[in-house]
Amino acid sequence: MKKLLLITLFSSSLIAAENDHSGMHGHSHEGHLHETMVDGKGLDVNPERFDMFVKELSNVNIAIVSVKGMVCDFCARGISKTFLKDKNVKKIDVDLDNGKVVIAFSKSKEITYSEIEKKILSNGQNMSDLQILEI
Amino acid sequence: MGIYKIIILVFLTVLNADARPISYSGGTTIMYKSDTFNDSVYLHYSPTYKYSIGLERAKNKFYKNTENYFRFTYLVNRKNTFKSQRNLYFQSGVVPGGVENNFYGIHGDWETRKWYAGFGLKDINNKFSKDYKEEYIQLGFAPYVADYNNLHTWIMVKTKKNTVTNKSSTYPELKFFYGNTLVEFGYSAVTDWDLHFMYRF
Repeated sequence: MKKLLLITLFSSSLIAAENDHSGMHGHSHEGHLHETMVDGKGLDVNPERFDMFVKELSNVNIAIVSVKGMVCDFCARGISKTFLKDKNVKKIDVDLDNGKVVIAFSKSKEITYSEIEKKILSNGQNMSDLQILEI
Repeated sequence: MGIYKIIILVFLTVLNADARPISYSGGTTIMYKSDTFNDSVYLHYSPTYKYSIGLERAKNKFYKNTENYFRFTYLVNRKNTFKSQRNLYFQSGVVPGGVENNFYGIHGDWETRKWYAGFGLKDINNKFSKDYKEEYIQLGFAPYVADYNNLHTWIMVKTKKNTVTNKSSTYPELKFFYGNTLVEFGYSAVTDWDLHFMYRF
């Protein structure tokens, strides 16, 4: 009987987990986004800063870009300028402390690793990682 | 002298380093520099982050001549990490129609959010005056680590020397970034004021 109960509980939790994480989606729980993605990787951002960023945003795809060489305000400024030329970019945040650039794209925009990497490189920095969330 | 007059004097009189001699791809930068030897205005455009081209009008205070240089700066090497960036640039300038008047040199820097180190070597050739060389080393730190879109402040020490006077001077400098604007100034009893103003479009 115990085994049956455990199997039932385990199956239920798997189904629930599947429903909660169908793809790389962020789902709000009491105002906070999940900090773990479906591939097991943590959402690599400052949680408070990220919550502020996504506040009042909806129907967007968010790119979280890890950038090497973004050590000063003056040298990171071109990154904002480059991305804001794209009409699909709704909002951008540069986190110098953690080497992150967070970009909100309109849902219709397909985000590709190569395009983001190219734009970061055009400013003279290197992209090392990209995470994408749907909100 | 009132504090406002001193501030204005500082901004109008001084000059120095080649901070960020190349912009991001498609970026345009205007600089004003003034130091012991030169007053100059320099406008450059960066087709890519690897090089910039520009025009500089430089007035040599020592030899009392003014030159218009066509300038080329190339990023020879850059190393990006999560905590730092290191750069080595080649810089050059030539007077159109008078290639004997030219300069070339290298400029390097290493920077984190907290620390800065830079150096520069420049060889200036002019048929109307004596050829000379300039060199400098600059070290600095940020007294606080500012977030993006805030005022960034650097406290620095610079040592520079040229082969005209053969005197070296070491003096403190302050550097500020805010948005697209950079202002840097320092003072030495030997070489007087240095001022560097930069705006990036």
